[in-house]
Amino acid sequence: MKYEVLPWVILFLPLVAAGIITLFTLKNEKVSATLSVGAIVIGFFATVLCFRAFRFSPQEFTINWLDLGTLQVDFGLRLDPLSLMMLLIVTGVGSLIHIYSIGYMKGDPAFSRFFACLSLFTFSMLGIVLSNNFLQMFIFWELVGVSSYLLIGFWFEKASAADAAKKAFLTNRVGDFGFMLGILILWVTLHGTLNFELIKHYVQDNPAALGGAAMLAGLLIFCGAVGKSAQFPLHVWLPDAMEGPTPVSALIHAATMVAAGVYMLCRVFFIFTPDALTVISWVGGFTALLAALIAVQQNDIKRILAYSTLSQLGYMVMGVGLAAPEAGMFHLTTHAFFKALLFLGAGSVIHAMHHEQDIWKMGALRKKMPVTYWTFMVGTLALAGVWPLSGFFSKDAILAAAHHHSLPLFILAVGVAGLTTFYMFRLVFVTFFGEAKSHDVDHAHESPGVMVWPLRVLAILSIIAGVIGIEGLFAGALKSEGEHPHGIVAQLIYPFQHAPVAACSGLAAFAIGLFAAWKLYANAKSDPLPAKLGGLSRAMANRFYFDEIYEATVIRIHDAIATISDWIDRWIVEGLCLGLVRGGTDLTGRALRLAQTGNLQTYAFLFVVGVAVVLWFVLGK
Amino acid sequence: MFSFASLRLCAFALKKMTTLTYIFLLPLLAAIALAFVPRNFAVIMRAVAVGVTFVTMLLGILMFWQFNGATADANGYKFVSTIPWLGAESLGIACKFGVDGLNVGLVLMGAIVAFAAACCSFEIKTREKEFYILLLVMTGGILGAFMSTDLFFFYFFHELALVPTFIMIGVWGRGERKNFATFQITIYLSIGALLALIGLIALYLQLPTDVRTFDIPTLTKYFAEHTMAASAQNFIFPLLLFGFGILVSLWPFHSWAALGYGSAPSATAMLHAGVLKKFGLYGLIRVALPFMPQAAQSWMQILAWLCLGNVLYVGWVAMRQKNLNLLIGNSSVAHMGMIFLGIASLNLIGVTGAVVIMIAHGFLAALTFGLSGYIYNQTGTLEMSELGGLAKKLRFIGVAFVMAAMAGCGLPGFLNFVGEVTVFFGAWQVPALRLVTVLAVWGALIIGAVYMLRAVRAVMHGPAQEDKTYATNVTDANLWRKLPYAILIASLLVFGFFPRFLTDKIKPVTEQIVNMATTGVAKTIVAQSKP
Repeated sequence: MKYEVLPWVILFLPLVAAGIITLFTLKNEKVSATLSVGAIVIGFFATVLCFRAFRFSPQEFTINWLDLGTLQVDFGLRLDPLSLMMLLIVTGVGSLIHIYSIGYMKGDPAFSRFFACLSLFTFSMLGIVLSNNFLQMFIFWELVGVSSYLLIGFWFEKASAADAAKKAFLTNRVGDFGFMLGILILWVTLHGTLNFELIKHYVQDNPAALGGAAMLAGLLIFCGAVGKSAQFPLHVWLPDAMEGPTPVSALIHAATMVAAGVYMLCRVFFIFTPDALTVISWVGGFTALLAALIAVQQNDIKRILAYSTLSQLGYMVMGVGLAAPEAGMFHLTTHAFFKALLFLGAGSVIHAMHHEQDIWKMGALRKKMPVTYWTFMVGTLALAGVWPLSGFFSKDAILAAAHHHSLPLFILAVGVAGLTTFYMFRLVFVTFFGEAKSHDVDHAHESPGVMVWPLRVLAILSIIAGVIGIEGLFAGALKSEGEHPHGIVAQLIYPFQHAPVAACSGLAAFAIGLFAAWKLYANAKSDPLPAKLGGLSRAMANRFYFDEIYEATVIRIHDAIATISDWIDRWIVEGLCLGLVRGGTDLTGRALRLAQTGNLQTYAFLFVVGVAVVLWFVLGK
Repeated sequence: MFSFASLRLCAFALKKMTTLTYIFLLPLLAAIALAFVPRNFAVIMRAVAVGVTFVTMLLGILMFWQFNGATADANGYKFVSTIPWLGAESLGIACKFGVDGLNVGLVLMGAIVAFAAACCSFEIKTREKEFYILLLVMTGGILGAFMSTDLFFFYFFHELALVPTFIMIGVWGRGERKNFATFQITIYLSIGALLALIGLIALYLQLPTDVRTFDIPTLTKYFAEHTMAASAQNFIFPLLLFGFGILVSLWPFHSWAALGYGSAPSATAMLHAGVLKKFGLYGLIRVALPFMPQAAQSWMQILAWLCLGNVLYVGWVAMRQKNLNLLIGNSSVAHMGMIFLGIASLNLIGVTGAVVIMIAHGFLAALTFGLSGYIYNQTGTLEMSELGGLAKKLRFIGVAFVMAAMAGCGLPGFLNFVGEVTVFFGAWQVPALRLVTVLAVWGALIIGAVYMLRAVRAVMHGPAQEDKTYATNVTDANLWRKLPYAILIASLLVFGFFPRFLTDKIKPVTEQIVNMATTGVAKTIVAQSKP
């Protein structure tokens, strides 16, 4: 069947684009941008074709990549509803962000390099989505790490960007360490299987197959997701990653890369034991709360959105942990739309404000940038979970799952929903309403069409994504029993019939958050909260000192060990070994003492003599 | 006159030799020929060295390409050839060459690195004649050592390559501690080589007088059928393990390496760290494991813990380095630990992974030392505090450097990843090595990444140091200078994307070796109890 070539095209076109740009077209910006954008847009249409061709029947296309006895690694592409949906998100949202980047990056001296890195990233991300086995997923997992390193450190001559890139890569590596060990455990316990489908069937047929290793293996695999999806305690890299260009923040740190962790959890959902799921749900819930609290006291527009992303990722992970992976994926999808929209809107604001990112220097942008304002508003409402925008439905699915499984997590999740509304409207009121707080506002103007159109498209998606059957698709993909409504009207009212407590609590949280934000920030010239909260506000602004704590513990300890090793190496190992040689010299006499003359000819001579002596010894025998 | 005579000898030998022999003979003959060129013709020296190694590289690629189609002899070696008038029949020494899956990749890697090293020798400005002669001798020696199927010449060619190393560091080296570095590397490597030599000769003496031979295939067959006495194994194996181990900078005998490479001219460091160092590992896999299975099994646990010395401890040491070359040198030592771990796992997956890392690290070490040499030439320093933001001006070098760093921390796409991950799987299969493996994974994924990224951050990223004297002069590599780096990166990527080009060749041989090293014990006991 000729359609079989499609997944390969989707996957490798961006890599080809990245290769060609790097090798040949670094000096030609137009060609570079065309190649990069072309690759992902073609990928999007190819995905749509795949939808038509395969109609959700799972397909796998594999070739053998490594063949060593019991270590059989395939390079395989798996197409099933889960990966197809994710492909659509990555190529769809990715296409919009690629197009937007043409406008945002205009005039940057390394314009072509930017698109090369962007395409490399797209390739890696698509690889994760299409992988059909653990090791292949790990391969692309690492590649996503490195492309994000390249993109965060895109302006590498800025010390802060270079540091942020390094931090992101290393933090991710800590997660990958667990991921790798998890893969090793699974591989040995399951007698050499790495393929997802095979493992799934094996585990379903023999529930005790993993034995005592099940919990450990599951949590180690989860470590990978903790790193990539920036969950507590490895969340520290994501806010720093905002040093990258804004389209990167939108693509990587909102819509795709950080979603990879959640996607992976859903992909390998079958290996998690109930205990492991409890841990996962609490890690997710805690991250959601922690990040939401921090977001309340940030002043950098991108950082607020970054912490909001963390918080929403916490929701998704919590959803997976509550045995509702379809809810996690649903929220991932809607979040990809509205968070990409918010980031691109923020980019538009930053672009207009000449790279000013402090919200307290903005204000009154509503009239200067109407399209950005309206689309940003849509994104905010969707994120805050206002019926009937998409965020309401996906958040409600998670709230319903929490309500069903665990009351403490439900309360926590509702609280976070309130906080979400509060910090988002704080951002909106300060940035777009009130009076202009600096002169840059006077010169601000709406961004060009190439940047504004992606905003409009994303805004429409953010509005309708909740009621076009996405949840039903994921439920079908991830669970066998599905009783999800069809038809738009049915979907619109479904949450109120299905779990009225959750739906009403979510809306109540929105109302409270909005009211509080309106009270405090509607006409504020400076932040009133620090005065009211005192120390707590300082802790929130300083991200609860996590960076400082890590700096003082993990990093210091590693550095201390390194210093000690270096000292031992320099003074003891080197000294001892040479000392032994010298001591031996004195004992064994002349032959070796000559070796210390420092004369090279002597060394060469000694060598020949040595060989001769031994040979003579052999011949003599 | 002499060179004319040698050419005629060569013509005579043509009939008896295959592609393989030219690969190592060409550099040696070129070295002899260069001896007759007057010393003012430095350009000719350079051209000859680059040209000859280029041909060598092409021959190496050709050999690798034809390997699958070539016919193997009874022992599984291909392109077998002999140089008849060298050797001593009475002693069982014959100058024989051949490649099988184990060394074919190493020879290819050696040939490519040799060309890259010759290209990177532009920096040599004094006594070019001697330098290029030594470089060619070293190249010939290295390649000869890897393709010899006779233990005597295996050792002889190694020494032939080793001695020029010491001289090159001593004469053309850089840095304040150059003399100490030369002293240290000479002492260590001579002792290592001597221990290995004693071990090899003792091995030879284990055979009955009438069948004594240095021929590796014959020895392999002999020891497959006759188990060596346990007492002999117990004293020969450690000799080989530590003799070869010292040559490969096995912890705690590693301190010569970083300083030695840090002080060496780029080409020497590239050839030694990249290729010659693999001699010890090759010897361990080819000779020590299959011939002395009992001793091997009892020593592997110890080797596994020693390898942590390389991966973790030297990794930490690398984190603290302030000089780029010392950092790279230490990272090279740390990578050796991964190879030792693969060997210690003593199974098909682990040992194959070890061979893959040997090849990968060859390309990588050559790449990193070549790049640091370029940076040194441009800036006159390798102190990382003096450098910074170089990627802005050295765009190509910057990209190559980042790629090298990524390959160094085991990023997929590069061959190093294939090797490391294979070693992890191999070692994980051995329950007794689980703890070591966990720590080694930490060393490879985290510590490796920390020092590699630290190097990138300090040298390439960050604000450019405009106040430094070199700031105005640094220029990016021109097309010619890019070539060696491009070839090395391409090699890492091609094999990294398609590892089966290598593993399918390596697998049959490692399978046989692992079988001898693990089941050999049981099999021979059964054989002995029969009569």
